[in-house]
Amino acid sequence: MTTFEKIANILKDYINCDLDDIKPETTFESLKIDSLDMVEIIMNLEEEFSVTVEDVSEIKTVGQLVEIIEENRK
Amino acid sequence: MIETRVCKAFGLQYPIFQGGMAWVSDAALASAVSKAGGLGIISAMNADADYLRGQIRACKAEVGELPFGVNIMLMSPHADEVAQVVIDEGVPVVTTGAGLPSRYLPAWNAAGIKAVPVVPSVAIARKVEQQGAAAVIAEGGESGGHVGDLTTIVLVPQVADAVDIPVLAAGGIADGRGVAAAFMLGAEGVQCGTRFLTAVECTVHPNYKKKILAAGDISTITTGKRLGHPVRVLKNQFARSFAALEYDSSVSNEEIERFGAGALRKAAVEGDEKNGSFMAGQIAAMIHDEKTCREIITDLFAQADEVLAGAAKWVR
Repeated sequence: MTTFEKIANILKDYINCDLDDIKPETTFESLKIDSLDMVEIIMNLEEEFSVTVEDVSEIKTVGQLVEIIEENRK
Repeated sequence: MIETRVCKAFGLQYPIFQGGMAWVSDAALASAVSKAGGLGIISAMNADADYLRGQIRACKAEVGELPFGVNIMLMSPHADEVAQVVIDEGVPVVTTGAGLPSRYLPAWNAAGIKAVPVVPSVAIARKVEQQGAAAVIAEGGESGGHVGDLTTIVLVPQVADAVDIPVLAAGGIADGRGVAAAFMLGAEGVQCGTRFLTAVECTVHPNYKKKILAAGDISTITTGKRLGHPVRVLKNQFARSFAALEYDSSVSNEEIERFGAGALRKAAVEGDEKNGSFMAGQIAAMIHDEKTCREIITDLFAQADEVLAGAAKWVR
């Protein structure tokens, strides 16, 4: 499974949407994920992928999140 | 006498912070709290670097070597510049509100500033601990001004379980029972805002103090939920009108924002009882007297001592 697919599945379970609703260009705003949810999701992803995300506030889309997680894994 | 890691870490006689309240927490209030053995905090509010620098210097002139702090509202248009001022002026403690201070923490940590973010959730508490915060303030929705959804009694123990750094409890604390309860929930310190609003040394307009002293249990409401940043205020004409506009779908968010603009200043500076936004916590109802900061703090902890020492009577 790619990083995107893994993250999409985690998001799907978190907000109970369909997997098809989550594309790289999907914004968290459109998914009705607020800043509190966002930090909780990031903390879960940090454990899942053994990474640290420095600045949560810059992340607007699913694609950006995937990119940051992948960069931090290197 | 109560001594916790908060006393040690911040050099305080009593483990209490005074909340950073915009248009209220100036050098006069902050220095009085610090001189009384707590941590006085200047609010940087939405003001610029020059304002804050002036306040910091005025506070330092009063407190000498005693610790004090600055509260930075991260949504402020001047957040970047005031974040630098606290470094330049050697402010020992910075508390933050309205967001994550991630972008400023590396520089503050490098400068030896103890950062203490106000946190509305467990995940945010864990995040700021990871980024080097010295402590966190777990603030429940009972508090005044900008509020989160969780209550103090629910939030504090969960944050205390999730982080290793000290936790201060805020929201709903105005007497020694509240302080004792906060310690029972796992906090090692408290932050009080509304209680200090009626301090003798607080320079807020007398009408503001009068309204706090007259408040009852149901005197506050939260407005601004529709705009995504709920604010707890005393019910008056302004608050009721604001709430009515929020329920009116024909009114745009921009119009509501415009209606609310400058209202806190009207309350705190002009004492405009009709059109001012009198931010206050639910415990406004439990405040019946104007006392000095020293009296407020010593009374809080004398009663907390008594309550905690008497707690054994419940155990069989």
